[in-house]
Amino acid sequence: MSGSLVFAVPSKGRLMEQTAEALGRAGLVLRKTGSDRGYRGEVEGLEGVEVAFVSASEIAHYLKSGQAHLGITGEDLIREYIIDADKRVELLHPLGFGRADVVVAVPACWIDIRKMAHLQAMAPAFRRTHERRLRVATKYTNLTRRFFQSKGVSDYRIVESLGATEGTPASGAADIIVDITTTGATLKANGLKVLDDGVILRSQANLVASRVADWSDTARAARHQIVARLKG
Amino acid sequence: MVAESARKFEALEAQAQRLMSVFTKAGYEAVAPAIIQPADVFLDVVGERLRARTYVFTDPDGSELCLRPDLTVPTCRLHLERHPEADVEARYCYNGPAFRFQPGGVTAAHPREFRQAGIEYFGSSSREEAESEAVRLTLEAVRAAGLESFGLRIGDLGLFQALLDAIDMPDRWRARLRHQFWRPDAFHEELARLTRDPADVLHDLPADLMSRMDPANLARSESAVAAYLDEQGLELIGARSVREVTQGLLSAAADAAAEPLSSEAADLIDAYTKVKAPARAAGARLEDLMNERGVAIEAALEAYQKRLQLLIDSGIDPALIEFSAEFGRNLEYYTGFVFEIVVPELGTGSPVAGGGRYDGLLKAVGAREAVPAVGSAIHTERLLSAIDGGEA
Repeated sequence: MSGSLVFAVPSKGRLMEQTAEALGRAGLVLRKTGSDRGYRGEVEGLEGVEVAFVSASEIAHYLKSGQAHLGITGEDLIREYIIDADKRVELLHPLGFGRADVVVAVPACWIDIRKMAHLQAMAPAFRRTHERRLRVATKYTNLTRRFFQSKGVSDYRIVESLGATEGTPASGAADIIVDITTTGATLKANGLKVLDDGVILRSQANLVASRVADWSDTARAARHQIVARLKG
Repeated sequence: MVAESARKFEALEAQAQRLMSVFTKAGYEAVAPAIIQPADVFLDVVGERLRARTYVFTDPDGSELCLRPDLTVPTCRLHLERHPEADVEARYCYNGPAFRFQPGGVTAAHPREFRQAGIEYFGSSSREEAESEAVRLTLEAVRAAGLESFGLRIGDLGLFQALLDAIDMPDRWRARLRHQFWRPDAFHEELARLTRDPADVLHDLPADLMSRMDPANLARSESAVAAYLDEQGLELIGARSVREVTQGLLSAAADAAAEPLSSEAADLIDAYTKVKAPARAAGARLEDLMNERGVAIEAALEAYQKRLQLLIDSGIDPALIEFSAEFGRNLEYYTGFVFEIVVPELGTGSPVAGGGRYDGLLKAVGAREAVPAVGSAIHTERLLSAIDGGEA
């Protein structure tokens, strides 16, 4: 298959269904092939394309390393997992699904804290009283560091959290969180509120191209086909 | 990362011996603090900024550890192990590897694994003497290694602090300005905000609650906040108590009630941060500036002059020393005098050595009180490449 375009798409969950739908609407029908336990496939009627079904976060790694030429995944994962994202990949086309905001949320009872600047102003007193830094639970460690730095907030510690992040302030495992939200209902149910200037990224699924993959003529031609059909 | 050549290894070893011999002859004890450090202590001290560049890992036992991103914190920990009260004057020197992730990519001037040779001097009450000693020894060491031409950049957070103290404003504003000092853009934004609307928070706060608060009566204010949370159906979750939230609201109210920072004061702070000149001229400029504006920061200015004189007396050409008020070094644990040795081949973004005063660090790693501390570290790969004429 040398020279083929490797197209990485989500292998499970809602994101997989929405990807298949969006591609289907554009006339790109995915079909699993071979005996590779269903992780490989093709696009019906399109030559030179090898489809790889992988998890959404894995897709970011595939694009970063050039193992895949094209991929469909959330911008949040691209920005989190690829530190020099603009150098390594190119966001070609937003797809209108998989929408989620990455936000900074604090306990709603902190009525004195509405903005990122207030967090920094409060941090020294917090440190004095509790003899530790403010703890931020998140799985988005890179996005969090970059955003907090851009807002001049430095007196904090990240606590990595891989699940149920929104529950960490109530349980005492962390003080505030950085997480994705769609409607804000889960945050509210956990007694949290989003800071006024606390939206780090409005993310959605994107068609993404790797800048570091080996682009053969075949791969280039296939890319034009896919992009043209998706942009309709 | 390029494989290390045998020649470079030998050259680095030989260079390290020359550097260390300067330090040990001056009475600094050679120590070898642990390379693997507990992540928690380390990261709490250095903050997330350096954490983002620190290699952190979990061992099979589940302990969170890190490869040291510098040798200063490990040397502080070593000192505390020996002297838990940190009540003994001590001089240490070291040479060994440090590790930093390089977000801009690994280059010769920014390797992820490099060797630092340096000194730390704890517990000296003669401040300017200790500071000039650190500079003098560092220069002596890089010269002994063969570095001939270089510049010395100095900065002084003590002057900045004295200036803020001399200008009438609430302590919280000083803390805000000090905090933003490291980020020039954010700093000037903060300065502008304090002259315009120091409490851009208040109009977001519930007016009915604010009217029930009494700055002179914390307990009453606290009850008002508790009642408000109740009315709004806001459950108290997390580590902060109602009292802490109340204090936050009262601070915001105090900011709103305070006179904004005068534009004269903001201009003076701004003029101060722009001072950048050869050290002698800068000293004169600072004195003129303060006299013109009628601001008295004699003690800090005297310290500046005394330190400069000590440096000159030790044989350093004053023309090589440049003062920059905005220069604070980008590690946030420095608290006073700071310096860097730069060479034209590598530029100011890649100093061959740097150091300064960090009086809060020993306390942060466990000492009961703040302990005077001064130190410096040489980036030995950069030094070698500068001596070799910029060749990596």
